[in-house]
Amino acid sequence: MSQDQLAELSRLLYSPVTLLLYVSAAIVCLYSLTTRAGLATTRSGAPAGAKLQRLGIALAWTAVAAHVAHEIVRGLAQDRLPLGNMFEFTSAMALTGALAGLIYLTIVRKKPELVGFVMLGAAVVVSSAMLTYADPGPLMPILDTWWRTFHVSVIVTAAGIFTVGFLFNGLHLLRDTAERGLAAARAVPTGRSTVGAAHIKDLAPGVPGDDLDSGARNPDEALSGRVAPDEDHGSTSLPVEAERRAMRTAISPLKLAVGTFLGTSTVSWVFVATPTTTLSEGLTRALTVNLTLVAVALIARWFVPFLPQASTLDGLAYRTIALGFFAWTFGVIAGAMWAEQSWGRFWGWDPKETASFLTWIAYAAYLHARATRGTRGRGAAWIGIGAFAVLMFTYYAVNLVFVGLHSYAGLS
Amino acid sequence: MSRTDSAAPPEANPQVRPPRDGGDGPLGFVWSSVVMGWRWLVRMRTALYLLGLLGVETLIATIVPQEPNVPATVDAWRAGTEGPGTAVSGLIDLIGGYDVYGSPAFLALLLLLFLSLTACLIPRIRAWVRLVRHSRPPLTRNAGRQEVVARLSTTREVDEAHRSAADLLRGSRWRVRVEEARGADGVVAAGPPPQVAAEKGLWSREGGSLLFHLSFYVLLAAIVFGQLLSFEGQRAVVEGERFADTPVSYWTYGPGRWWSEASHSGWILDLEQFHVDWVRDPLAPGAGQPTLFRSDVEVTHGDGSVEQTVIEGNRPLVVDGMKIHQLDWGYAPFVQVEVDGELVYENFLTATATDGGHFRAAVKAPAADPDVGLSVFFYPYAPDNEAGEPVPTGAPFADDPLLLFQMFRGDLQLGRTAQTINELDTSELESAGGAWLRPGAEVDMGDGVVVRFVELRRWVGFQVSARPQIPYLLLASGLLLAGLWPALYAYRRRLWVVAERDASDGRTIVTVAGRAFQRPQTFDDEHAALVERLARQLDATPYPADGATPAPVGVEPGPGGGRGPDAVSEEMT
Repeated sequence: MSQDQLAELSRLLYSPVTLLLYVSAAIVCLYSLTTRAGLATTRSGAPAGAKLQRLGIALAWTAVAAHVAHEIVRGLAQDRLPLGNMFEFTSAMALTGALAGLIYLTIVRKKPELVGFVMLGAAVVVSSAMLTYADPGPLMPILDTWWRTFHVSVIVTAAGIFTVGFLFNGLHLLRDTAERGLAAARAVPTGRSTVGAAHIKDLAPGVPGDDLDSGARNPDEALSGRVAPDEDHGSTSLPVEAERRAMRTAISPLKLAVGTFLGTSTVSWVFVATPTTTLSEGLTRALTVNLTLVAVALIARWFVPFLPQASTLDGLAYRTIALGFFAWTFGVIAGAMWAEQSWGRFWGWDPKETASFLTWIAYAAYLHARATRGTRGRGAAWIGIGAFAVLMFTYYAVNLVFVGLHSYAGLS
Repeated sequence: MSRTDSAAPPEANPQVRPPRDGGDGPLGFVWSSVVMGWRWLVRMRTALYLLGLLGVETLIATIVPQEPNVPATVDAWRAGTEGPGTAVSGLIDLIGGYDVYGSPAFLALLLLLFLSLTACLIPRIRAWVRLVRHSRPPLTRNAGRQEVVARLSTTREVDEAHRSAADLLRGSRWRVRVEEARGADGVVAAGPPPQVAAEKGLWSREGGSLLFHLSFYVLLAAIVFGQLLSFEGQRAVVEGERFADTPVSYWTYGPGRWWSEASHSGWILDLEQFHVDWVRDPLAPGAGQPTLFRSDVEVTHGDGSVEQTVIEGNRPLVVDGMKIHQLDWGYAPFVQVEVDGELVYENFLTATATDGGHFRAAVKAPAADPDVGLSVFFYPYAPDNEAGEPVPTGAPFADDPLLLFQMFRGDLQLGRTAQTINELDTSELESAGGAWLRPGAEVDMGDGVVVRFVELRRWVGFQVSARPQIPYLLLASGLLLAGLWPALYAYRRRLWVVAERDASDGRTIVTVAGRAFQRPQTFDDEHAALVERLARQLDATPYPADGATPAPVGVEPGPGGGRGPDAVSEEMT
């Protein structure tokens, strides 16, 4: 095949194929989440959603495989590793995030019911990469070195893992709010608990109330710990449907939408400020990004009753971010080593270096906050959300708006 | 010292240390402020605030152009021609926003951060040393009441079961303590039963965290050391010319305070040729992108040996302990200026690239009277049109070079006003017309002035640096990562193996109990694997034989078991 055909094929593999696979995996997995939860009322036989979930996981792996195929074909089309411009970074970030999330949730942590959210996130990132699409092409000679492969792949992996961590953080906050709301609906005072109402024994029987690490300690986490508690938990419980409603109403959709919009705007203004795009195009992009994420947040809100307990999500977020932090530290060090090799100085406070340092600080603050009593739980989760905004700022703003040595977005 | 339960309400805990009375008077006040300040620094919250402040400073440095990096942009911001305007600019200047990392505020913050770090670390290091020196895996009184419990039944003797378990655990890198039966008959009336107690991750997790934080001191020391002892200089070299490593031959010379000029070994660099190329096909992907930057050089070392080699973007050359980087490049037209038949200027210009795709340079000939100045625009590719006139393009390859210039006469004010080598200060100059030249051509500008464009070469900007701190920086990075991994991924676990003779059937019942301080989810599997291996070694079967789990466990924590206040952590620091 000629280079052009390969380029065309890689494009096809990316835009309809991979994207659609991610979307359908997300839909199937999320749907199976609701059916498995419905098992609470049909407690005989195999879980109703188990088959569906297996299908969803299979779709997820297929999507990842298609994504890998895209990367390979694109690499062949340009005779180099596809890690040279912003489109390729974003695409790789989605891939590493999806892969890391998939491995973590299905193999390490055995929480396959959450894969849907990872797929949803991957679909969003994959489509956001289309905003910075660039055709396959050669590399600047300064980038043409194994140092780039090393530094960029580590950094991109870290960013992908952080994205999954952000996802868990966001779900944690949603679920935590819902649990507090539910507890309030039951007139159980939450006191000043920092880890959410999950630890009120009444809400989720069988879960040790003093376990700050993770509610998933419950060995038989099958259903009672994972989904909203069902009817026969005692007289204080509400019926399932009412409980779900109570959980959802605890999260004001208006507040969520406006908050998400404003939160997203802290990064999406970059598209308006990008010198190479026109104002109307920039506005369209910013609005698209904002509204998509608002929609995703509202979808996530609907699924809140089917989520694992807030403390479990908190633990998942912590574990993912800790791994991402290690990778990021490693990637920044690798970057400094490359800079010494290539620019003759290991650190020069170039905007990108400064921003990656800022990201490092933000995630360090998250890890410290989580280890500090008083800021553990919601406080730490908010810092984690902020840290992700900083990461996105580092990624988009510094590449697109500020001029520095890292201006390689490939968009000019 | 009593243990503090920080999950409990404050009144349940004794005061950590009674406030010390420093006496009255000014000294007492100073003392109490120091104590207060120190206590404030020790708090984790303080560290968080300081980290947050560091983040804010860094954010400013990301958004606002920094003077050491892009002085021209900063000047433009100050003048109001770029950026948010003079009012905001003044505000930024006020807080030192144009040089965040050189500002006193940043230094103060860094000092506070390191103080806070020190304040946090000293007690932790002491506690850790105590832990390493004195701690032994604690015994359990009732293994059955631990969080994770499995029981096996075997025909082996009690001691043999304990020995196997101890070997197995040692093999899996647990710290093991074997508590033999004390009485002659193996029955102990009071106290914990004979057992094998083991623990894991207690030192490494905290130790890793300490190593991670201590590596910042190494990092700081390496950076300070580097500031003092390093050297960096720049110099542009035209193809076919050479340059020697002596302090005076650098165009910019930036030695550290303790840099010794004797460290220059006087090596010589000959730039033979510089290669540069681009994707020339305008329809190809990445059209116009450069594809090659390479300098062919000949190096004469300080000891006289000669070496032919190349310098590329990612391949600096190391000569006598100094690194030579190829930083930038440009075109070097060789220009002669004659006034009344007398050569007043003859040199290679170092024309630098601009955003517009052309290159800028200046000719300054103070030897003429009045001075001659040429403001030069160099276009590498300017083919002729049908009328035979050159049409400048933005293409960077020198297929049809064109030199455009504007001539000025008057006073160049050399040495009196700030001007770079490629800039003319035209305030005391008068324009005297312009012209264009192809290589090898000359033009008579009238008034006896002849300008000649003799030939075209390229120049390469080299940076020479000596950084003795690099190995120490690598060491600091290594320590950082080496500490971070166990700090995040060493999990504290305790395990007990208690073998007891079951008098009823003469078999030995082995209880394998465990407790996880972090990540209990994965501990279940670890525990199960250990139990399985032990069962294989002892030819044991699950007990009770029907496989049913023994009495419910983990509901009421036994002594030392359950999740005490110190078990709650997933702490990283």
